Amino acid sequence: MSARSRRVERRPAVAVAVTVVFFAWLYLPIAAVVLFSFNSVKSLSTFRGFSTRWYADFVHDADLVTSLVASIGIAAVSAVGALVLGTMLALGLSRIRSRTGRAVGAVTLLPLVTPEIVTGVAALLLFTGVGLKLSLVTVTLAEITFSIAYVTVIVRGRLAAMSTEVEEAARDLGCTPWQALRLVTLPTLVPALLGAGLLVFALVFDDFVLAFFTTGVSPQPLPVRIYSSIRFGVSPAINAVGTVMLVLSALVMVLALIVPRLWGRKSSSLDLITGA
Amino acid sequence: MTALDPTTAQLPAQPKGGTPRSGQHTRLWAALLALPTGWMVAFFLSSMVIVVLLSFGRTQADGQPVFSTRLDNYAQLWDPLYLRLFLRSVSYAVATTAICAVLAYPVAYVVALHGGRRKNLLIAAIVVPFFASYLIRMYAWSALLSDDGLVNSLIVRLHLGGGVQFLNTPYAVIGGLVYGYVVFMILPVYAALERMDTSLIEAGKDLYHGPWRTFWSVTLPATRAGLFGGVLLVFLPALGDFVSAQLLGGPKTFMIGNLIQQQFLEGQNWPLGSAMTVAMMIGLTVIMVGYLRATATRSREAS
Repeated sequence: MSARSRRVERRPAVAVAVTVVFFAWLYLPIAAVVLFSFNSVKSLSTFRGFSTRWYADFVHDADLVTSLVASIGIAAVSAVGALVLGTMLALGLSRIRSRTGRAVGAVTLLPLVTPEIVTGVAALLLFTGVGLKLSLVTVTLAEITFSIAYVTVIVRGRLAAMSTEVEEAARDLGCTPWQALRLVTLPTLVPALLGAGLLVFALVFDDFVLAFFTTGVSPQPLPVRIYSSIRFGVSPAINAVGTVMLVLSALVMVLALIVPRLWGRKSSSLDLITGA
Repeated sequence: MTALDPTTAQLPAQPKGGTPRSGQHTRLWAALLALPTGWMVAFFLSSMVIVVLLSFGRTQADGQPVFSTRLDNYAQLWDPLYLRLFLRSVSYAVATTAICAVLAYPVAYVVALHGGRRKNLLIAAIVVPFFASYLIRMYAWSALLSDDGLVNSLIVRLHLGGGVQFLNTPYAVIGGLVYGYVVFMILPVYAALERMDTSLIEAGKDLYHGPWRTFWSVTLPATRAGLFGGVLLVFLPALGDFVSAQLLGGPKTFMIGNLIQQQFLEGQNWPLGSAMTVAMMIGLTVIMVGYLRATATRSREAS
């Protein structure tokens, strides 16, 4: 909080109006999905009364439930895998000063600027090329590869803001580099790691494009299942599944923003996302 | 930046007369790098190499794609049908980027400079839905805008007209893209506005008086870096998108992404799909390098 006042002018009326309309536009379709998921009739334009029949349909649809469980599993395994690999990469890159190190650093950021469809196509070709059968395993491998860069960016941001003196002091006191890393650096990183892990979970859980290209026939991740049913037309049952997905990922995102803040200082993944 | 910091640079960078310690920790960092680097080479770089190699390949009579050394696939891309589609994709992506910029500025401005204590809450309210299922949000629009959807039934009920066909139009597809990616413009612009010295705006007001002139000559130049970053972050995914055109559009509004997707999952012409993918990547790289050069020169001139 700076002492200097940010309020340097009267509120610009046009900008405020645009912002209000923006928020309405942002939430209108989401609100509609949630509202019509409780509709008692099969209509997406008229709300006739409250009912949970579409949720009952969802719970009794074994395929959809399997897909939901599969998506949660993929997201959890990917979050852990990307966290381990991304943190190793961030630690290595932040300390190594050679040219090779910098080249590796640049290459690992490539997935962030590659359109997802390209990553998806490439992963599909790779897996079929080496004879791997497409399944939830191939989806998870592709998701981990895609998510490593997010973890690396977040952890490197945290490392850059961290003083290396404490780690040096630990080494002067007789710690091996590994001990210094494990006992000093990693505990300091815990908030950033939790934030990054939750962020990756949310991203992977919702991811459609990569999953679409790398999944087998059955069972499929939930977004892929939803996509194939949408193509056969809209139905209130999809609204119920969509509501469940929205609530789950919104919860995880809120956790990703809040959890790092529980450690006190200003270090939530929100700051890392906004670059502030 | 840590390398330039006098308090931290001295310790790890300088070998202390060959003590085992420095060698030991260089080995540790190299060991840490080995596994993730190997992973990225095995799963990312090699997959990209395969796409490039297969783009010179062909499809056998039994439908199996095989490696080869032909340029046929690239020659096929000059089909006017495909060229029109490429052009359409670029124009949709450019329109999306422009609309996102126009939309992002007022929103980021109000939140950053007039958000007060609720600033973080407002940004979270923008970020959370954007990271919640892109697919579900596109589906939501297709349900709202469909011929018997909520918007059309309201139009009819309020006697505003006989219903409007929203879906299958370029407006719906571009609207979907804006809805999908506008957050990538808001965040960098917001971050730039946050960092900006607001006394500049006051000074601008004193000099130029009008808020519009102040915006053009003070606020916009001062937040240029955020805008330039946002343009890339929106343009790249928008150009490769296929979900918006699939759910809100139709064959008349298909983009490169739809074409590539069809080659792989419907048409089963993987070598042609690979050539399209490579062509798109080359196009994007050219656009990006040109853009980065242009913006770098402008930033230098500005300072």
